[in-house]
Amino acid sequence: MYSGAPSGGIAIGGGGGGRGRGGGRTWPSTTSVSTSGKRIQKEMTELSSEAPPDCAAGPKGDNLYHWVATLFGPPGTPYKGGIFFLDITFPFDYPFKPPKVVFKTRIYHCNVDPSGNVSLDILTENWSPALTISKVLLALRSMFTNPETYKPVVPGIAHLYLGDKAKHDEIAAQWTLRFAR
Amino acid sequence: MVSDSIANVSIPVASSNPRDFGKKKRANRAAKLKQCKLDARREQWLSQGKNKGSKQELNGGGEACEQGMQVTNEKGQLMEKLAIKPRGEAEENGGYTNTYSDFDSPSNSPTSHTSSVLEGNYSGTNFTGGSSSSSSSSSGGCYSVSMSEEDNEGDDDCLDDWEAVADALAATDKEQEQHNSSLDSPPEVHMSFQLEVSDGKVPAMDTSQQNPKGRGTIPGFPVSFRAWRPDDEFRPQSLPNLSKQYTFPMNSERHYRGGSVWGCKSAAIPTSCPICCEDLDFTDTSFLPCPCGFRLCLFCHKKILEEDGRCPACRKQYKHDTVGGETTKDAGGLMFQVARSCSMISRS
Repeated sequence: MYSGAPSGGIAIGGGGGGRGRGGGRTWPSTTSVSTSGKRIQKEMTELSSEAPPDCAAGPKGDNLYHWVATLFGPPGTPYKGGIFFLDITFPFDYPFKPPKVVFKTRIYHCNVDPSGNVSLDILTENWSPALTISKVLLALRSMFTNPETYKPVVPGIAHLYLGDKAKHDEIAAQWTLRFAR
Repeated sequence: MVSDSIANVSIPVASSNPRDFGKKKRANRAAKLKQCKLDARREQWLSQGKNKGSKQELNGGGEACEQGMQVTNEKGQLMEKLAIKPRGEAEENGGYTNTYSDFDSPSNSPTSHTSSVLEGNYSGTNFTGGSSSSSSSSSGGCYSVSMSEEDNEGDDDCLDDWEAVADALAATDKEQEQHNSSLDSPPEVHMSFQLEVSDGKVPAMDTSQQNPKGRGTIPGFPVSFRAWRPDDEFRPQSLPNLSKQYTFPMNSERHYRGGSVWGCKSAAIPTSCPICCEDLDFTDTSFLPCPCGFRLCLFCHKKILEEDGRCPACRKQYKHDTVGGETTKDAGGLMFQVARSCSMISRS
């Protein structure tokens, strides 16, 4: 299904479609318009027309299944002023399986592990095919303001947040200043 | 006048039998198209002298139209009289009988009916189209105009007949009709929208401007109003399925009140699957797997069943046995479906 129909795909940012097909099977064929392709394409147009506040996302290159997202640290949080980059990888059966979201910018947050993996319930067991990237971005944004401290991936940060929020915020602001500017 | 002939052409549509109606209708449509163009032109900057010129043009150009007119001229006039009679009765209800039923021209009805509407005496026939919007408050001007237009258009028997014939037609030579109407109806639709909008915006214009024109404008309404019927409006898009037809009146009301005419065309039922973004066909549209009202295509539903089998919207487990039951129930209870689609709108 995915190997066929090389025509009709999209080539964002130019460069032709050769790279995707030649690059092994790290992701499904770049150029096929499958179920996921159409869906992702639609989400892309929707995002470009009406993105959620302080968010941006789009394909990295000519690969529809590999996106880069940008989140601006919301004011009123220690992440204020930071610009956080994320990698979003869509599985080939995308709407049925959640996208993989990884922080590329280091962040001091109890739900983001040192390698940038996000632990967000809607990205794992609570994923629903009706969710979109724009909703995921909104969830990530709300994660900035309200960390999920009950199931943290970095328990130390969560403990600090619950015990000494001022200290936590200070460290987080430092990290933001250092890595996210 | 020009539109007189058109009215005669379009009204007998209801009374002729379906067989030759098919042929006639094509001719009629051509005539209607011309009528639309003529109307538009006249609306802009035509004097009566030019009108006559264009009449000749019409008669010369469309011989088929003339034929249809000759054959059914008498019937048409009969129908016109019929159309006037109930109006008189309705006015009796409003208390305006003596003054208005004496005039035999349809141009009087807008005033009489707007006034009767303002009085709050609705007669049954008046009310069929707009009953849903009466509950919510919209501007009185708009509303009364829509009612009076409905009346101008003729009595409801005529319309019902027309619809019945249209249904029969659709059954016999569906494909051709489909094709024809998809080519022909858009101008009509556009025409009607223009009229409706202009009337809605300037209620005063309705009485003052249309009455002097009298027969000139008003017999044009049957042509335009018919475009508001679900079967005409939806033919160009896809097969007219029941669900779409039944959600249409609600939609049209919304167009009317909202002011933006083309804005919310596909609001009622999603035209594409929210999961895979493919277009929903008829089977998919009548497929309601979850009581929460979330619609998706059969393909995606099957795929979800293969995995965790939970509804994407409410995350409840799909019940396997209800799937078939839901579809049949859906086909039967249309109100059920409409309610669902309403909830979809409000949520998304």
